[in-house]
Amino acid sequence: MVRLITHNMLACHVRNCNKDNFPLIFSEVELVIRETPENLDFIRRFLPKLDWTALVDTARSLGDTTLPDEQPVEMTDDQLRALHHVLMEMHVEEGNMTCRGCGHVYPISNGIPNMLLAEHEVGR
Amino acid sequence: MPLYILRVSLDHLTFRLPSLLSISQTFDFPIRFVSEDKFRGILVVELAHKKDVQHLIDRGTLIMWIAELYAQAETYDDLHAQLRERPDLFDEYRQRTFKITPEAANYHFIGSRPLEIVKSFAYLDMRGGVELENPEVDFVVFEDYDSETIHTHEQRLARDGRFRTVYFGRRIGFSRARPLVKEQSVKTRAYYGNTSMEAEMGFLMANQTLARTGKIIYDPFAGTGSMLYACATFGAYVMGSDIDGRQMRGKSKGPDVTPGMLRAAAQYGVADKFLDLLTFDVTRSPIRRGGWVDAIITDPPYGVRAGAKRIGKKSTRKTPLREDPYVLEDGTFAHTKSTYVPPFRPYELVNLTLDLVLLARYLLVPRGRLVFFLPTVTEEYDAIDIPVVEGMRELKVGDGSVQDFGKWGRRLITMEKTAEDDGEMPKFEDQDINSLADKLPAHHDFARRYYERFAPRNNSTPDVPTDGESAGSS
Ligand SMILES: [Zn+2]
Repeated sequence: MVRLITHNMLACHVRNCNKDNFPLIFSEVELVIRETPENLDFIRRFLPKLDWTALVDTARSLGDTTLPDEQPVEMTDDQLRALHHVLMEMHVEEGNMTCRGCGHVYPISNGIPNMLLAEHEVGR
Repeated sequence: MPLYILRVSLDHLTFRLPSLLSISQTFDFPIRFVSEDKFRGILVVELAHKKDVQHLIDRGTLIMWIAELYAQAETYDDLHAQLRERPDLFDEYRQRTFKITPEAANYHFIGSRPLEIVKSFAYLDMRGGVELENPEVDFVVFEDYDSETIHTHEQRLARDGRFRTVYFGRRIGFSRARPLVKEQSVKTRAYYGNTSMEAEMGFLMANQTLARTGKIIYDPFAGTGSMLYACATFGAYVMGSDIDGRQMRGKSKGPDVTPGMLRAAAQYGVADKFLDLLTFDVTRSPIRRGGWVDAIITDPPYGVRAGAKRIGKKSTRKTPLREDPYVLEDGTFAHTKSTYVPPFRPYELVNLTLDLVLLARYLLVPRGRLVFFLPTVTEEYDAIDIPVVEGMRELKVGDGSVQDFGKWGRRLITMEKTAEDDGEMPKFEDQDINSLADKLPAHHDFARRYYERFAPRNNSTPDVPTDGESAGSS
């Protein structure tokens, strides 16, 4: 953990940070690949919830180049398998996620990201 | 359509029908409750297809075993008469090894009675031979007695045969879910906290979420993860967040340390089902979009010592929240240190409950479910306590499911998202408590009222707490 399926659902939520707050940029990453049983129906069903461009850019930043620039209209099983690998099997165990908008750094340790905001970042 | 008898636990009676209905909804099969009295040790149900029995066996934690019903009667004479007319029921099994097991509710067999009962079925003409250890066919004779307090041996003997109903059926299987309650007991779990919920409740809640393979279930007050193990065991992907990361991790720190929750998940063989664990305040959440979570399951912390918290400062504090980062003497920002923790303030349960329903309205997929425990002062509870939110509705069987501890209880709330759209992320603003309808919800200020032994609200003199019980959670 952090898996890319979750990372794709997360944006910087610092008060008034609403430009370039997604996706968060990984750095100083310790990446672990863990095989996970495939459930391609699940992947197919989740597809409409994903931001494809953010996912492709993030996967590439971690060295995985299997996903095409444009989201295929119909996914083949091989493409779904590649997607399964990217979403479910790539775990960022250590490192940082940084917001391009405000620069907030969310550190990850033992696979758990700390996304608690600081006092001055929550507003009110 | 075939009838089945479910041998069911007499514990948690208000959870019985909701949990069976949820299993049928999870796997999309019809179930009809046939028994007139649905709260005895045997429940007769009608199922459209034989294969649906397996789902009840796999998921029914309150079920002990299930049998195909062949006959039921108030007397043995009537039972035998019915069975004599249906030799066709036995044709398929006539050449198989078999056994006949007498069992009972609220009664214990002694002496030669079980043997006499078995002998009375000789006319069934089973020819495959008796096999006590591993019979191919397992018939069960079940006597259902009323509960009674017995003082003498004579009273005990006088009860023989004075059951309300006797059932005869072919046992299809024992519950595979019920043993999980013991296997995943908090006592033997690799990681738990002092407020971890007992496994049985976790499984009952997991059934309410319609957990199954391919679903995503999220606990926004994950604590030590009590309910997530049950959901993952039922095949779902699970995700947890908590404002206190130590709850999910445990005390150990440093590189290569496996967080406590993942150690327990590995113990149960479901570590790969744990999508992610994240530290954040649910009222200041980094989740960027709605409409993708299949269910939210949670037991919000309402304990006397460990109530819910959110980022902020108590209204009684003179200094407001900082507008600018705090700069340390060495010129660096305090919040960039790994030891930094923002100030927290209490998260009043009335606000939390409304926020939870609003969050579910946003995060859930259409017809996704919100399942949570609400502590409540028994005498004051009113249906109005459940927040009414457009796009969400409560699913309730009878008077609902309650774990009753006397003056207070835990009410299990199940809600469904009826809206089709995602809507907006809730604002998580405090409600003006004084403006709330005519009366305060029974869970308002729950921790203090627990401490005061639930003295009426107009009497503010607290009893001295004797303690022993605790109102902890999650
Ligand atoms: Zn930002």
